[in-house]
Amino acid sequence: MTALATRREEARTSFSGRGLPTRRVEDWKYSDLKSALGEAGLGEEAAATRIMGLPQGLEFSDLADPYAPAWVAAHLGTLARNAVSEASLAFAEGGIALRVPAGQAIATPLALELSGKGHLRLLLVLEAGASLSLFETGDAAGPRNAGIEIVLGEDASLDHVRLSRPVPGVQVEEIALSLAARARYNAHFASFGGKLSRTELTIALEGEGAQAHLSGVSVLGGDAHADITTHLIHATGNTHSTQLFKKVAGGKARAVYQGRVTVAKGADGADSRQTAKALLLSETAEADLKPELEIFADDVKCAHGAAIGDLDADSLFYLQARGIPEADARALLIHAFLEDALTNITRDDVRGMVRNAVGQALAALT
Amino acid sequence: MLEIKNLHVCVGDKPILKGLTLSIQPGQVHAIMGPNGSGKSTLSYVLAGRAGYDITEGAIAYNGEDLAAMPPEQRAAKGVFLAMQYPVEIPGVTTMTFLKTALNAQRRTRGESDLDAIGVLKLVRAKAKELNVSEEMLKRALNVGFSGGEKKRLEILQMSLFEPKLAILDETDSGLDIDALKLVAEGVNALRSPERAMLVITHYQRLLDYIVPDRIHVLAGGRIVAEGGKELALELEAKGYEHIVGQDSIKRSA
Repeated sequence: MTALATRREEARTSFSGRGLPTRRVEDWKYSDLKSALGEAGLGEEAAATRIMGLPQGLEFSDLADPYAPAWVAAHLGTLARNAVSEASLAFAEGGIALRVPAGQAIATPLALELSGKGHLRLLLVLEAGASLSLFETGDAAGPRNAGIEIVLGEDASLDHVRLSRPVPGVQVEEIALSLAARARYNAHFASFGGKLSRTELTIALEGEGAQAHLSGVSVLGGDAHADITTHLIHATGNTHSTQLFKKVAGGKARAVYQGRVTVAKGADGADSRQTAKALLLSETAEADLKPELEIFADDVKCAHGAAIGDLDADSLFYLQARGIPEADARALLIHAFLEDALTNITRDDVRGMVRNAVGQALAALT
Repeated sequence: MLEIKNLHVCVGDKPILKGLTLSIQPGQVHAIMGPNGSGKSTLSYVLAGRAGYDITEGAIAYNGEDLAAMPPEQRAAKGVFLAMQYPVEIPGVTTMTFLKTALNAQRRTRGESDLDAIGVLKLVRAKAKELNVSEEMLKRALNVGFSGGEKKRLEILQMSLFEPKLAILDETDSGLDIDALKLVAEGVNALRSPERAMLVITHYQRLLDYIVPDRIHVLAGGRIVAEGGKELALELEAKGYEHIVGQDSIKRSA
């Protein structure tokens, strides 16, 4: 049996031993996966990842290939080992692996669409000095469980935007990254919810000078649920992370942000900032924002903040007094509330697409 | 143009204005002076239509129409403008976008067509130059990081842009040094016209050295307790509010 097959077998055993997380598991407190899925659970089907045109310079490998190249075997299944990501490793029956060789800057963005119901698996490796822009979307099928591993070598740089759509069912995504020295991960997550929708990010800043900048917006109506859970690990000193998540919820929607930042012992000079804000447009909407800090080093800068509120009455009056009708004034303020979380998206065309999706979701909401 | 009769206003359960009567004709500049807590800002908010300021008695007629029955945006479209004491900061909306949105919203309410982006830009640039509002300020988020003087200048820029019939200036002098005050006052004076009425609300006489009113009303305890010409401001400055407010009944019977 190859090393990969062994690892898959191990994942299968691990998942069947642990089962789906319940709300008693702290990380899943606000996302009741087990009851959202019901009897059928996550199933054992395989979903797919569609590559919308493979940019030149990227190397591709099929994870179903038992004779996968060494760089695949070296990384697949190494980063995340929680129950849900073990399930995707066990049941995805393959998936894709992509590598950007050392020093390559890929100019064309890589567009991926997560598709169908079941489990899928993706491995993305950027070797030293490589750079890539990743644009990820998904269809509305579910339940779907995506397990994504991203390895960034020294000085590698990845821009990642995930633009999801409102989905009727359950979609969960586990993204695990490791960053070597001076590597940079810049990501934005735009989510519009589902019966249960969750993105969990585990980011290990392993090398000196590594940095991760995360932002996201959620616009939720009806009884949509969207959970973004992040775990930033400053394993080494002089690592830097920022997070800015903005959420708008109306109807009976539920917006969740859990952000845990861990600064390891000896990781002096680590700098971490996280902000999460939610705007509730109805009495029945709910936001659960939970920033957490675990600091084991002495000389660090960590700031975190969370706020939940309604539209500011002074601002609303100001705009109305300038002639802007109330409904338009509200819409303007909601857009303005979300705007700073969009500025982190580097590409203008992608930012435009996200802004359009946000506009549509807000129009449906108000 | 503006006829306020026996106006009583409550904020929550608390009565603030208790029988205020005031009349302003086109072309006139009236000043309302009064100590803190006399109801000056309440008057400005109730004229602009802020929620939570309830009229329990009396009436406000604006060009013969019942002002209190209109939502704030309709008042603005009909030419009521309030330059606010504390202009709000709105991150995420650039000043230029805000000006364009507001201008076209007013035009739409009046049944006029929208001005295109270039038309608005030209108009705003011309007004901005007069008030020393830089291009860079117009690109920044509305009032975010603006100094006190910049915020007030932007209020006057809006007044110039929207061309109101009734302009209410609420404590426009607060937080301004003398140079900023002069610049703002010049802007206001440039907008004085036979068709336009202004109501200048201030705690201090200083502003009225630069914007000279036709009539001064002293507000205390929710009512006008004294009225007079521009010289009344000097008397207030010399003797203080207590002197006048204390002689409430004498002044009113005179």
